[in-house]
This record gives sequence, C-alpha cells and structure tokens, in this order.
Amino acid sequence: MTTKKETLRVLISTGHLGTAPSNPESFHRGMETNPDYVVADGGSSDPGPVYLGANIQLGHFVREELELFLTASRKRNIPLIIGSAGDTGSNKGVDDFVRIIKELGAEHRIPKFKIGYFYSEVPKDYLQRKLAAGKEITGLGGFPTLTMEEIEKASRIVAVAGVHPFIKLLDMGADVIIAGRCGDINFTAAPCIRAGFPDALAYHMGKMIECASLVAEPFMGKETVIGTISQDDIKITPYHPDQRCTVASAAGHSMYERENPYYEYTLGGMLDMRHCKYSQFDERTCRISGAAWAPATELRVKLEGAKKVGERYMGFVGLRDPHVVRHSDQAIEWVRSAVAKRFGNDGYELFFHVFGKNGVLKELEPIKNAQPHEVGIVVEGLAATDELAAKITDFAVRMFFLARIPGVKGTAGTAATTKQTMRSSPGYVWNVNHTVAIDDPMELFPVHMIEAGV
Amino acid sequence: MGIKLGEFANTVRSKNAGVNQVTFDIIFRSPQDYERARKSKALSREAIQKLFGVPPERMSDYVEFDVANAIKFTLYRAKPNGSPGDWDVLGCQQYGPLLEVEIP
Repeated sequence: MTTKKETLRVLISTGHLGTAPSNPESFHRGMETNPDYVVADGGSSDPGPVYLGANIQLGHFVREELELFLTASRKRNIPLIIGSAGDTGSNKGVDDFVRIIKELGAEHRIPKFKIGYFYSEVPKDYLQRKLAAGKEITGLGGFPTLTMEEIEKASRIVAVAGVHPFIKLLDMGADVIIAGRCGDINFTAAPCIRAGFPDALAYHMGKMIECASLVAEPFMGKETVIGTISQDDIKITPYHPDQRCTVASAAGHSMYERENPYYEYTLGGMLDMRHCKYSQFDERTCRISGAAWAPATELRVKLEGAKKVGERYMGFVGLRDPHVVRHSDQAIEWVRSAVAKRFGNDGYELFFHVFGKNGVLKELEPIKNAQPHEVGIVVEGLAATDELAAKITDFAVRMFFLARIPGVKGTAGTAATTKQTMRSSPGYVWNVNHTVAIDDPMELFPVHMIEAGV
Repeated sequence: MGIKLGEFANTVRSKNAGVNQVTFDIIFRSPQDYERARKSKALSREAIQKLFGVPPERMSDYVEFDVANAIKFTLYRAKPNGSPGDWDVLGCQQYGPLLEVEIP
C-alpha cells in the first residue's frame, strides 16, 4: 500500500460508458487536477434484458470513450477502473473491452501497463447445486423464488460483484481494471476502502458520483465530476464551468434510481443514509457526511439473468379517420380476432402500443377518455420462429386496413402505413433477479492479469 | 388558489429502481413548498394510488424525504422492464400524469 493520503480523489465523466461520448472539455479540466483514479460505469440493467440475453452491446461510442480514458490516464499514470463492461458484464463484454484496451495500448504506443480483469457469469450448474443443497435463491423486487426450471431457461446469468475483486486486482498492481457485472457504487468505493478510508463514506461516494454530472445542477449529462473522500466527509465538485453541486442537487441525487432513499444494499453490507448531512462547502462543491455502513451477517450476491421468449417483429400504423380513432379499441379487437381465426390462440404474442392514448403508461394512464385527432399503433409480435413472427406481425398490421368497424365512411382502408414490418431484436424477459448466499465474496469473480502497451 | 405540480415543483421524474419497479421523485424548491404539498394530501399515498389506478400492494415504498424536500414513491411494474409489451424500458416517462396534479 502506498503512503497514507489525507484525501483521495476519483474522477468520473459518464453514467453509462459508450452510449454517448463524454464531453472532453470538462474531462480534461478535471484530469489537469491530477485525480487519484479515473472510473466509469460500463453497464446497467436499465436497457432491458435483450443485451444480456442476446450477449450484445448497446453503446456505439465504447472505443472512443476507452481511448479518451486510457490515453489521458496512462499519460499521468492514474489507474483506470471500468465497471460492468459491455453493458451487461458478460464474459464477452469483458473480453471485448480488454481487447480494445490492448489495441489502443499498441496503437498509441503506450508504455507497458497491466490490465486486470474479472468475469462474473455464473455457471447454471453452480446455481442448480445450490438449490439441490437446499439453499434458497431469493427473489428481489417481487420475483418468486428461483426454480431449477427457470435457471435452465435462462440464456445467461451474471452475478453482481462487490468491491472485493477490484481491491484484489489493485493489490496485484493493475493499471487498468475491466470488470464484469458489479454494483455501480463499488468501482469507486474499492480504491477508497483499499486506501484506508471509512467503508460508509467510500460506498456513499460511489453512490453520489455513479452518474457523473447528474449529481450537479443544472441538468447536464456526460460532464465530469470529482469526488474527494477524507476520513470525515466526501465532497463532490463538477468540472463543467456552468454546473454546481448543491445541497439540493446532491440530496436529490441520493435518492435517484432507488426504491428507497435511505438504504443501498450491495455484496457485503448495507449503506445507511438516514443520517446524512449535506452542506455547501464552496460555491460549486457540496460536502456530505454521516453515512453508516452495516456489514452483512450473511453474504448474499445479486444475480441477473434473461431468457428468450421468441423472435420479434414490429409494424406501425396510423389512424386518422375520427370514427376509427374513436373506436381504436374495436379496431384492435377486430385485428386480434382476425389473427386468432387464422393462427389460433397460442404460439404467438401480440402487443398493441397505442400512442396518442396510452402507449407509454398502458394501464397506469389516468386519462381514459383521450380525444386525439390521430393515433399511432405499434404492433409488436413474437413467435418461436422468425418466419412465423414476421408473418403474424405483418398480418396483424394489414388487418388494421381491413378493420370492420360499423359506421366507417372510408372504404379504401382504415389505417395508414408506409414501411415494411420491421425485424426487431428477439424478445427476452428478466427471469433471474435474485440473491443467493455465498461463502467467499470472490468465489464467482475469477481475476486475471495481462500486460499491454509497448 | 391551487397550482399545478408541473409549475410548483422543481423536479418531477421517474426511473427504474431495479428491473421490476419504477420510482418517482418529486422535489420541491423550498421546505415551505414541500410542507404545503405534504400537508395538502394531494400527493399522499392514497392520492397517488388513485391517480395511477393501482391497488395499495403495487406501491412498494412511499417516503417523505425531508433532507431533499422531496416526496418519493415506488410502484411495481406490470412486467419487468424491457419485456415484450413494455414501452418505457427506463421507466423515465411514467411521471407524466403527476405534472397535472393540483396542489391546493
């Protein structure tokens, strides 16, 4: 361990690496202050189960982002830590990111450096053995207890890492860390804990800066902030000249994306924010203290998994005839019945997203008697094979032209459309959102180290 | 004289809280505004359940968060985010109806 520091400063410029590029001005302004670590979150479950299930990536700016982070951090010999590589933290996501870092190291002729990485995919037989041994795999967020059958159906399952593999890789001398799936507070907390700062403040700083500039005001994405931890407090400073981190923005952010503003659970314990104090330290910096950390009595790791439910197509129709618009429910019923007549009632799924009515909120929409002058309907159709999904979805779209609604004046077609029914990603659903007891916080996260650069 | 929440609050937002819940944050400009909204009951547990037409068991959490001058609540989704049939994978447009709520 290096000599004990009074503070440790962590720079972050994006809440989700690769979706849109970090703005380089505030990033470089932050880098000029020589932070101790540069970190970024590569992933989330927010984009839905398709990416984990199909093992594909969402972002189109991954290489540019990694290039910016790697070249700037290596120039100053600052360690770089990337969490949840490839959006989902799958093994392929980790391998892709490691490969890009190696290529960039060679391309920019960066002096030799060490890449530490860890995986987080969970073998199905590991979980099946847990179940066979009588261990419960407990559902989160309303999910039922996990069964052998659902484990079998999952296309891919990852475990969500704590600080432990990060600390291990830093101890091994990593200059760059590429992580599998991890809690988004942990890639910041790990170096702080390793340097001897209090667990509570370390995890809380991880929480506060995980989305970079979203902790500050006014609202701006992809701008740099730096978190500074001491033995007594954390301080958050934005590096975009027009942003400030205020008591209101920081306290407001502390409840972002979580069911409850007071507690955050991660592998190894619970962050308790009930007694946090926020104060304005200087014009742009908010000072935060008072978090507590309750170590877990039983280690439980979170699992995420997705299963495929079919191939998927989408089509779009527009309704403009006021009579048809008023009777759009009837039009949908007619389409459903026409599909059922031709294809039966099973072996496919059809969803109608009625924009102008309740396309976004569905059953939560309070406006039940909307009177739009036109509505758009997305037809989403799924079936076991590509051919059948295409056929049924396209048939449903076409049936809108032929909808039989009593009293309709137009006799040349009851819906407008222009484009071919489009192939979408296959449909997946989250079927694993659970926790399981483990003996060792490292047991699902094997670490590796390689050299890169020239 | 009442005022719509869209004009009255500083921030109104919704976002996923895990894959099966959407959490809503309503943040006021001042402790006074927060108190006024809180006391009015226009954003009480029951009022929110009525607005979105959900039974009490679909609300997994409801907190008056003094330090942020905020009211926060969380609803279970009908199905996990990104499932076929879901059109708000981030849950980030579910707050819309809140802006129309009148604070007396």
